[in-house]
Amino acid sequence: MENVIHILFCLTLLYTVVTTRIKSYVSMLVLQGLLIACVMIFPFLKSLSIHILIIPLLTLLVKTILIPRFISRLIVNLDVPRVVETTLQPFNLLLLLVATVILMFIAAQLLSEYAPVPPIPLAAAFSTIITGIYLIIFRTALIIHVIGFLIIENGIFLLGTTVAAEMPTMVELGALLDIFVVVFLMGIAINRVRSTFSQIDVSALERLKD
Amino acid sequence: MEFVNLILGLLSLLIILFTSPLFAGFINKQKAMLTGRMGPVIWQPYHDLRRLIRKESIYAESASFISRVAPVISFVTVAVAAMMIPIGYTIPLIHFKGDIVLFVYLLGLSRFFQILGAMDIGSSFEGMGAAREATFSVFAEPIYFFTLGSLAFVTGFTSFWDVFHNINLSNPSFIIFIIVCTISAFIMMITECSRMPVDDPNTHLELTMIHEVMILDNAGFDLFLYQYTATIKLMIYGSFLICFLNPFGLSNHALGYVIFAVLTVILSSVIAWVETMTSRFKMKNIPQYLLFAAAIGILNLLIYSFMK
Repeated sequence: MENVIHILFCLTLLYTVVTTRIKSYVSMLVLQGLLIACVMIFPFLKSLSIHILIIPLLTLLVKTILIPRFISRLIVNLDVPRVVETTLQPFNLLLLLVATVILMFIAAQLLSEYAPVPPIPLAAAFSTIITGIYLIIFRTALIIHVIGFLIIENGIFLLGTTVAAEMPTMVELGALLDIFVVVFLMGIAINRVRSTFSQIDVSALERLKD
Repeated sequence: MEFVNLILGLLSLLIILFTSPLFAGFINKQKAMLTGRMGPVIWQPYHDLRRLIRKESIYAESASFISRVAPVISFVTVAVAAMMIPIGYTIPLIHFKGDIVLFVYLLGLSRFFQILGAMDIGSSFEGMGAAREATFSVFAEPIYFFTLGSLAFVTGFTSFWDVFHNINLSNPSFIIFIIVCTISAFIMMITECSRMPVDDPNTHLELTMIHEVMILDNAGFDLFLYQYTATIKLMIYGSFLICFLNPFGLSNHALGYVIFAVLTVILSSVIAWVETMTSRFKMKNIPQYLLFAAAIGILNLLIYSFMK
């Protein structure tokens, strides 16, 4: 059953590299948050102790409600264009991602021979991290860089839930808080960039002079 | 028992041949109702086909014998492909090891002759449509092979009936395959039958048409054959998709037909809904849409290879 969720997670990744509309990125973030919360709730179903439930619920709150809301508001406030510009055609990026996913599956398979980790969740987590990096490299809008960062974070969460059977609760809470604060700060930074350069695009940052 | 199977196989062929215009009409009716119109009656495709069948074929002066044989070959190959699809619980008329490969190449042959027939006359619009059809089918074929190939791997059979017969929904790993395969098979159906996000069946601007532009110079009986082929193809792919979702464990023929009918109605609603909610893609975005579906299929194959 966990495998189903990881596969759905991979499908969201494929969609994020194909789409160019900014709203779909946000809805994919919501979906990914939901899937991560689902993955985290499985230990609770096995042991039924309440304190395991805190992390999934907080993840649900932060990743599906607070952060997407904040990003949507940022999009409205900054009037980001509805369609994102790309430096690489989505078709080519999709080919690249498929190649990467295949590579990650093979790597995860090799790793799982040495360590007791299931290959599919491991591969899903690795692919998520790399997708986030691709988004940051191949999209010019700064808001997509924030979203790419969040996708990398999602990948790390996924990795945490598969590799470490039980991450300390305090660490996870700290990570969640960190992510939220970072997104908040990035929002402020983008606001400043916009007020200085009147557009939020990396191409504007190339003309920096002193 | 052999005789009963033969009769039931014939029955499923007849179901595909005779209810396919109804399926298309039902989709059109629902589309019209979703956009707030009355729409034509659901029998409208039958009326259209009857009108066309009574007219004589007219050929252009530059047409060679290809134009004469192409519609017939296109129709016959699709009809033979229809014999391989199991409906309900019946054993299809043609089934042998590896018929999943024959199935897709029969449909490919049908398309090939349609393309030849379109290029035969020498109209530039039809040549353009033929080029598009060929390009998009190149991207659509991997979807089929990755999707059905992974299912064939999982079940260990290479015949439609055996593959679908061995899908066991109580096994959780099959649920992944069914979810993933259904998505990619749906996209494949949309493409192959030139439905909405890829091609608009109702458009009348030659520059944007794909399938319809190829049959501009056909009239009468030939047009009937092409249009009928298109509805049968829609029905075949629809049944193909339904086969994924059909719980084959039960060996009751009547129940199989009921489930088939219910799933067909649901599928037609889904198609109508998708066609209402989405707008057409730009031509240059279609390959990436198809690659997306193929990527889903590749993912499916990967899961199979790495799942213990």
